[in-house]
Amino acid sequence: MDEFNQDGDTTSGIGFRRGLAGIACALTLCLGACSSHPQVRIAVIPQTEGSHWDPAHAGAEAAADRTGTFIYWNAPTREDDVETQIALVERVVDDNYQGLVLAPDQALSLISPVHRALSHGIPTVIIGSPLRISAGGNLFYILNDDAEGGRLAAQRVAEQLKGHGTVALLGINPDVAGIMIRARAFEQYLYQNDPGVRIVQKRMGSFNLPHEQQVAEDTLRANPELDAIVALTSATVDGILSSLETSREKRTVKIIGFDTARLPPFEGKTALDCVIQEDTRAMGQRAVELIQAKRQGQTVPAVTYLHPKLISRDNMNTPEVRRMLSLDWKLGHWRWSSTH
Amino acid sequence: MKLPPLLRHALIALLVVLLLAAAFLVLRAYKHRPNRGLPYHDSFAKGSADEWKEYGGTWEVTNGEMRNDSDQRGAKLLTGSPYWRNYSIEADVTLLGVSGDAGLTTRSSNEEEGVDAYSGYYAGIRTRDNSLVLGRAEHGWMEVNKQIPGSDEIRPFNWYHLKLLAYDCQIAAAVTTPAHAIPVTLAINDQECVRSGRVGLRSFSSGGIWRNVVVRPATHHDLVEMLQGTGSQEDSEPRNAVLEDFELLGLRHALQQQKATARSHENIQSIASLRLSSSAKPATATVRGVVILTAPMLFVEDSTGGVSIPQPNAPPLKVGDAVEVTGEVHPGDFSSTIEHATVQVLWAQAPMPPASVTAAQASTGKFDATFIEVQGRLTGKERGPGNTLVLDLDEGPQSFRAIINQRSSESLFRRLKPASSLRLRGICIVDPAFTKNLTPFVLLLRSNEDLEVLAGPPWWSAGNVIAIAVASLLLALLTIVLYHHIEQSRLRAILDERERLAHEIHDTLAQSFAGIGFQLQAIRNALSEEMTPLHQQLELASTLVRHSHEEARRSIATLRIENLESEDILSALVLCARRMVEGGSVQVVSEKLGDHRSLPLRIADTLFRIGQEAIANAVRHAHPATLIIRLKYNAHSACLEIEDDGLGFVQGGSQLGFGIRGMRRRAQSISAALQIDSNPGEGTRIIITAPLPPRITLISWPKLLWKYVRERGIYARHSKHTHSDFYRR
Repeated sequence: MDEFNQDGDTTSGIGFRRGLAGIACALTLCLGACSSHPQVRIAVIPQTEGSHWDPAHAGAEAAADRTGTFIYWNAPTREDDVETQIALVERVVDDNYQGLVLAPDQALSLISPVHRALSHGIPTVIIGSPLRISAGGNLFYILNDDAEGGRLAAQRVAEQLKGHGTVALLGINPDVAGIMIRARAFEQYLYQNDPGVRIVQKRMGSFNLPHEQQVAEDTLRANPELDAIVALTSATVDGILSSLETSREKRTVKIIGFDTARLPPFEGKTALDCVIQEDTRAMGQRAVELIQAKRQGQTVPAVTYLHPKLISRDNMNTPEVRRMLSLDWKLGHWRWSSTH
Repeated sequence: MKLPPLLRHALIALLVVLLLAAAFLVLRAYKHRPNRGLPYHDSFAKGSADEWKEYGGTWEVTNGEMRNDSDQRGAKLLTGSPYWRNYSIEADVTLLGVSGDAGLTTRSSNEEEGVDAYSGYYAGIRTRDNSLVLGRAEHGWMEVNKQIPGSDEIRPFNWYHLKLLAYDCQIAAAVTTPAHAIPVTLAINDQECVRSGRVGLRSFSSGGIWRNVVVRPATHHDLVEMLQGTGSQEDSEPRNAVLEDFELLGLRHALQQQKATARSHENIQSIASLRLSSSAKPATATVRGVVILTAPMLFVEDSTGGVSIPQPNAPPLKVGDAVEVTGEVHPGDFSSTIEHATVQVLWAQAPMPPASVTAAQASTGKFDATFIEVQGRLTGKERGPGNTLVLDLDEGPQSFRAIINQRSSESLFRRLKPASSLRLRGICIVDPAFTKNLTPFVLLLRSNEDLEVLAGPPWWSAGNVIAIAVASLLLALLTIVLYHHIEQSRLRAILDERERLAHEIHDTLAQSFAGIGFQLQAIRNALSEEMTPLHQQLELASTLVRHSHEEARRSIATLRIENLESEDILSALVLCARRMVEGGSVQVVSEKLGDHRSLPLRIADTLFRIGQEAIANAVRHAHPATLIIRLKYNAHSACLEIEDDGLGFVQGGSQLGFGIRGMRRRAQSISAALQIDSNPGEGTRIIITAPLPPRITLISWPKLLWKYVRERGIYARHSKHTHSDFYRR
C-alpha cells in the first residue's frame, strides 16, 4: 500500500521522481563532461577563404588527422576585413582553444588580440606574414620567405627583359608585412644586380579588384612602353589581367604575379608569365604539428621560413606544384564555416 | 572653590573650542600671509615645474627653460599664492613667433582657459608694434603700450629681460633689450586695482621661452627705483643682464634667409607619396606641411599623411608652423622618415586639427605619424623614463599607449583613475621604438591639455560593490537591533503601566474594600443581637466585600511582576502561585531543568502570563492538592509546564474558555507551541514550548539575519490566516 506524506504524495511517487532526478543528474554530468572538450582543439584562421589559403586547411587537417585533433577553420570573407578576424581570435581565446594558427590580415591590428591569446596561455603560430611581436614563449612564426619571393620576381623580370627594360611594381600594401618585404627585396635586387631594369612606377594596392583594375589601367596608360608588371597580390594580378582583356590596345607586357588561388590561369592569359606562390599547405600542416609538439613538451623552432615556389607554364603540372596547391579535403575530417 | 562636574566639563570644552579656533585662525593667517613663499625662484634648471598650472598651450621644461610651442592666444602658466600683494616678478623671455607677444602676469586670480580669462595684470613684449605692453585683464582686456626705441628691437629668438612690479595700486613694467642697457619702463596707476594674486607666464599668438623666473617682495622704494630705471640692474646682474643668445641670433638670420628662399622649390611632393620612394637607393625629396610635434622628434603633416624628421637642421620650431622640408627619404611600411633634412619656416599659426579616429582605425597604421584624436579606457599608468607619464589604454579589442613627455605633473598622475574614459590627442606612432611591440600604436601627447577625462571609473567596481554589500548588511543589522530595542521599550512601558495599575488598585480599590469591610464590621458590632435579619444582610455584605478584596489582591498579583528581568520566571510564577493559594492547602512545587539562561523580555513576559493564567485556572477550577511548576531550558527553546492533580476537564471546543484562548493567542505571539493534556479526574498539564533566539556571534550574525528575515516573511504570510498551524493542539 502506498503511504502518503504531508503533501499527499505517495512514497512510490517520490521514489519515481527521485529516480528521474537521478537520471537527469547523470545526463547533466554526461553532457558537462562532453562539453568539457577532452579533444585537443586548434583554431586555424587564415587571411580569408576561397583564396590561396585554402590549401592551409588541407595541410592542417592532414596534421590533425594523425593525432585526432579537432580543427576549427574560419576566416573573414575578405583579406581586408580585419575586424572580423579580430573577432574570430577573440572567440578562440574565450572558448579556450588549445592552439591558434593565424595568418594576419593586418600587421598591427592583430597585435593586441594575439597578446591576449598569449596571455591566456594559448600556443599561437603566425603563418604567412609576420606580426610586430617577437617570437618566443608561446608565439611561433612559420613564415613565407618573402624576401626570396621578391628576389625570384626580380630575377624573372631581369631574365625576361634580358637585363634591360622597364617594370612597374603594383599592389604595394603595408597592411601585410610580407608584401612590403617582397617589394623591398625586389627593388634591392634589381638595383644591385640588374640596374638596366628600371622601376618606372610603384603603386599602392588593395584587395579590391575594381581598384586594382583601375590602377593597372592608369599604369598602362601612363607607361606605353612598359615591359613588365610585378603584381604583389592575387587581387592585383586579377586587376591587371582584367585591364588587359578590356584594353583595345594589344600590349606585350609580361606579368609576374604572386599568390593566386589554385593553379595560375595560364591558359588564355598569355601576358601572365609566372606566379610566385607561398606554400600555404605546408604552413597549415607544420603549424598544427608545431602546436602538437609544443603541447608534448618538445623543443620547437621559434621562427621557420618556407621557400616560395615560382610556378610557370613549365612546371605547373609537376607533382610538387600539384601537391602544394592540393585541395584534397579527404585527408582530414574537416569542417568549416563562413562568418557571413 | 570646587566647581560642579558639569560646569567643569563645560569650561574644558569651551577652552578646547577656543584653542582650536585660535589654532585655525593662526594657521589661516599664516597661509594668507602676503609674502608667504617669497622670494620664489623657478626650478626649471632642475627640470621641475610641478608647482605651475597650465591653462592652454603646450608648456614644457627643456634645457632649464619653460617653453610654450603653441600659438594659442592667451596660453597661461601660473603659480604662487593668491594672497601675494606687493611683489615683483621678472624673467628672461624669448618670443618664438613673429606676430604675437609673450610676457608675465601678476596678481592673477579667477583664471580659466581663454585669451583674457583671468583677473590681473600682464606685461609683455610684442613684435607687431615693437612695444612693451602693460594692461589689466578682467575676463576682458585694457592696455597701454610703449614703443621700444629703435625700429627693429623686438624680434623672435632674442632674449629680453622683463620685470613686472605691483605695489598698492601702481603697476610698473620694464624691459631691457639687447640694444639698450637702460630699461624701457611703463607704469599704470589703477584706482580700483586687483589687490592680490598669483604670478604667471603668458603668451599670445606666439610661442615663447622663459627662464630665471624670480618673484620677490616689493616696497615703495623698489617701485620708485624701477620707475627711475635703476633698480633692476644692481642686485641681480645675471638675471637682468640681457642675454644675447648668439645661437638664436644665428637661427634668426637663418630664418630670414630661409624665408627669402622658401618659395624656391618647385618639386614639392605629397607626404604620402614618399612611401613609394625607392627603398634601394636614397632619394631626395621636398615636402610641405605643418609641424605637429617638436619633441622627442619633429613630425610634419600635410593633408595626405605625416612624416618624421629626426635631427633636422632647423630653426626653433613650434607646433603650428608651416614648414618646407628637404632631405633624404627613407620609406617605411606606414610612413616615411626624412633624414638629413633642412627645414624652412614658411609661416606660423597654421595649426593642424586632429583627425578623430577609433583605436581600431589607428591600429591599422594608416594614421602613422599624423595628429589624431582617439578615445580609450585607462587600464594602467606608470612613470616612464625622463619623467614621462605612460598610460595604458584600450578600446574594444585594441590596446594602445599614450606618452606625455616631460611635462606631466604629479597632480595629473594622481588624477587619472584606472577604468576612466579618456579622450586623447596626439601623434600616432607605430614605430617599434615607441611601441616596444606591445601595442599596435602609441600616442605622443604634446601637453596635458591633450588629455581629457570624459568619465571617471564606473561606480560598480569590485571594491565598491563589496563596500555596498557590507554597508547594506550592517544597515540591516542596525535596523534589527533598533527594532528589538523599540520592542523592548514598548514591553517595558506596558509592564510599567501594569505596575502602575497594580499600585492604583492597591491604593484605591483594595484599600476601599478593606475600609468598607471594617465599616460593615463596626456597624454589625454596634447593632443589637436581636436584629438578626440585619446581621445576616451585613454578613452577606461583608462576605461580598471580602471576596471583592480577594479579587482585587489577585488582580494586583497578576499585574505586578517583580524583577522579572533579573530573576528567572520560575521564581516569579512560584511567588505568584503562593500568593494565589495563600491560606489554602495547595502545595506549590517548582522544578528547574537544564542550564539557566536569560530569556528575552518578550518571551519571559509571555511565558509568565500564560503560566499565571494556567495557575489561576488550576486554583480557581481544579481544586488541586499539588501544583507543579516546571521550567526546562533546552538548547534552542524554553519549556514551561504547569501541572496539577485537580479535577481535570474534558478537552473540547465547548469547554474552551476565555483563559485558554488567551493563552493560545499569547503563545502565538512568540511562535511558541501550547499543549494541554487533561482528563476528568486526572488533573491537567499545560506545556508551552517557546523557541529561543540563537546567540549572536561575529560569524553567525549574517545567517541569523537571513533566518530572521525569512521567518518574518513566513510569519507575515501565516498571520493572515485565522487558524494558525503554529500551535499544536
